[in-house]
Amino acid sequence: MNNNNINPLKNTSSEQTNPIHFSAQGIMKKFGGIDALNDVNFELRRGEVMGLVGDNGAGKTTLMKAISGAQLCDSGAFFIDGKEVKINSPHDASRKGIQIVYQDLALCENLDVTANLFLGNEIRYLDNLKIIPRALRPLNHLSMEEQTKAALRKLKVHTITSMRTKIAFLSGGQRQSIAIARATKSDSSIVLLDEPTAALGVSQTKEVLQLVKRLRETNHAVVLISHNLNNIFEVCDRITVMRQGENIGVFDTKNTTPDQIVSSITRGE
Amino acid sequence: MLKNIQEKIGYLRETQLGSFIPVLLALIVIWIYFGIKEPVFLSPRNFYFLFMQSAVVGTLAVGVTLVLLMGDIDLSIATVAGVCAAIVAVLSTKMGVSAPIACLAGLGAGAVLGGIMGTIIAYFRIPSFVVTLAGLLGFQGLMMKILGIHGAINVRDPFIRGLTTTTLPDSIGLILAAIGIIIFGLAIWNNRRARNAKNLDNDLLYLSIIKFIFFSTLVITATLILNAYRGVPLTIIILLSLTGFLGWLTTSTSYGRAMFAVGGNLESARRVGISIEYMRISAFALVGFMAAVGGIIGASRYASVSFNAFAGGPLLLEAIGAAVIGGTSLFGGRGSVWNAILGALVIGSLGNGLDLAGARAADKLMFSGAILLIAVTLDAVTRGGASRK
Repeated sequence: MNNNNINPLKNTSSEQTNPIHFSAQGIMKKFGGIDALNDVNFELRRGEVMGLVGDNGAGKTTLMKAISGAQLCDSGAFFIDGKEVKINSPHDASRKGIQIVYQDLALCENLDVTANLFLGNEIRYLDNLKIIPRALRPLNHLSMEEQTKAALRKLKVHTITSMRTKIAFLSGGQRQSIAIARATKSDSSIVLLDEPTAALGVSQTKEVLQLVKRLRETNHAVVLISHNLNNIFEVCDRITVMRQGENIGVFDTKNTTPDQIVSSITRGE
Repeated sequence: MLKNIQEKIGYLRETQLGSFIPVLLALIVIWIYFGIKEPVFLSPRNFYFLFMQSAVVGTLAVGVTLVLLMGDIDLSIATVAGVCAAIVAVLSTKMGVSAPIACLAGLGAGAVLGGIMGTIIAYFRIPSFVVTLAGLLGFQGLMMKILGIHGAINVRDPFIRGLTTTTLPDSIGLILAAIGIIIFGLAIWNNRRARNAKNLDNDLLYLSIIKFIFFSTLVITATLILNAYRGVPLTIIILLSLTGFLGWLTTSTSYGRAMFAVGGNLESARRVGISIEYMRISAFALVGFMAAVGGIIGASRYASVSFNAFAGGPLLLEAIGAAVIGGTSLFGGRGSVWNAILGALVIGSLGNGLDLAGARAADKLMFSGAILLIAVTLDAVTRGGASRK
């Protein structure tokens, strides 16, 4: 497929940016008679935070679910570095380096930080001994703990001192950091954050926004869904506005104002 | 204030040693009380019988802990134990099958029965409470069928009887205890060294030392007491080995992690790719297996298999009570198989002590009820603290 034709935005945007890393083209999704997504195009660059805004029911979450493989779209195509990729399951997505952090974080409160980071993907001894079923190979606790420490250090999360603390005893911001660390621990290049600051207080929100900036520095392509335009303007490089299942437009944060975004969200201008 | 204390207790219960302490304290209090009231309670002979009496309940409690960890429950453990014991008894005494093979058949039957219930729970998404309740009723009938019109079969086979009558020579008991202590010490030492080498935070040194001294004292005292009567029973070794394996399985493998994850947050376990169906089926099969072990130990101890000893008595509630008294949460996600054994000892000691004190059945039941209620309340209270609701 000819990539240049379907990437009309390529090279039109500002000067210093990386090439387009990920793009979704012509994504359609119907729920009954309603167009949840109607011919949506969406693109991401590495080292860039893309804000995704829109009213409730605008299709943000549906788009995220399609990209992360949690929900199949009816038609459309995904490209990573110009090559078309199939995303049919969350597993597919994570293998392609796409990670999603859900609003509810999906952490197990009864397990410690390390266990949560490696849940379903533990480091084990004897992993080359195929006779022993995978689930029964002994865990390499220390390696996992070491890597957990490293992952949190990389994100500059310093408030969690022991990796053996149960999630139940951590604050909302700390939990968010762990969910993000889990998403970025493996070789992920794209991180989707669904309302990461929705339930947080002021200082914890700041903590999480720092983390988002940190992901940009580590050359991830980040998508930030939020209803809070202050947060969006604080960390995003560009903003995609969705309305009634359509992509209204992509704005450079530098050349736009919150008022413009609001009118775009509400009136589609 | 109250919330603060709740949280502190909750935090304490989350640590390995901390989850041990409440049930151990309960046990010590019970022992001191009955020791003063009925000095014979603390005799080696009584301790020997206490351990043996608690073995069946302990085995079932260890088993049921596995599904409790996942937030499920198995109400059929006692009747599965009964069915398996009946199978072993019929095969070995009436059909002339050699006893070891009959035992294997019994163990296999337990795993299959558990696995079938697990499959129904997993694929039809029926609460385990209901499915195992149906199992409880159905297997009572099955047990009656297998036992025939007399409702009881005597077991005289020396192999099966030997499982609970054999005791190890004093020297071997002590050697095993020493090996256990050395392995435990080495494991702690090794872990500390490796953590230091990798620059990970370590437990305070004195905590590790206390842990070691505590474990060693426990093992040596128990061995010496048992040696002062007949020696360490083979039954205890079997139970400890199985518990050791299941303890390792639940804390040191991906399988165990998945169990805790399912009990802690089912949806998140599903999202990271854990097969809930596989977990349920295999865990219920394991519980069935442990129930069969309990059934065989019971058959061996009572020298007979009767309906009342398994299905009709308080065995089921004692086993689940033991697991909960040991600190395993009925809400899933927290617990330990080792604590189930301590819980079984609490229940066993209570029954034994009240018997010695000449208490009536009515008092015994009320005491057991009170202890269980305290344990469950503690569980609910600390759970509230831990999740900051």
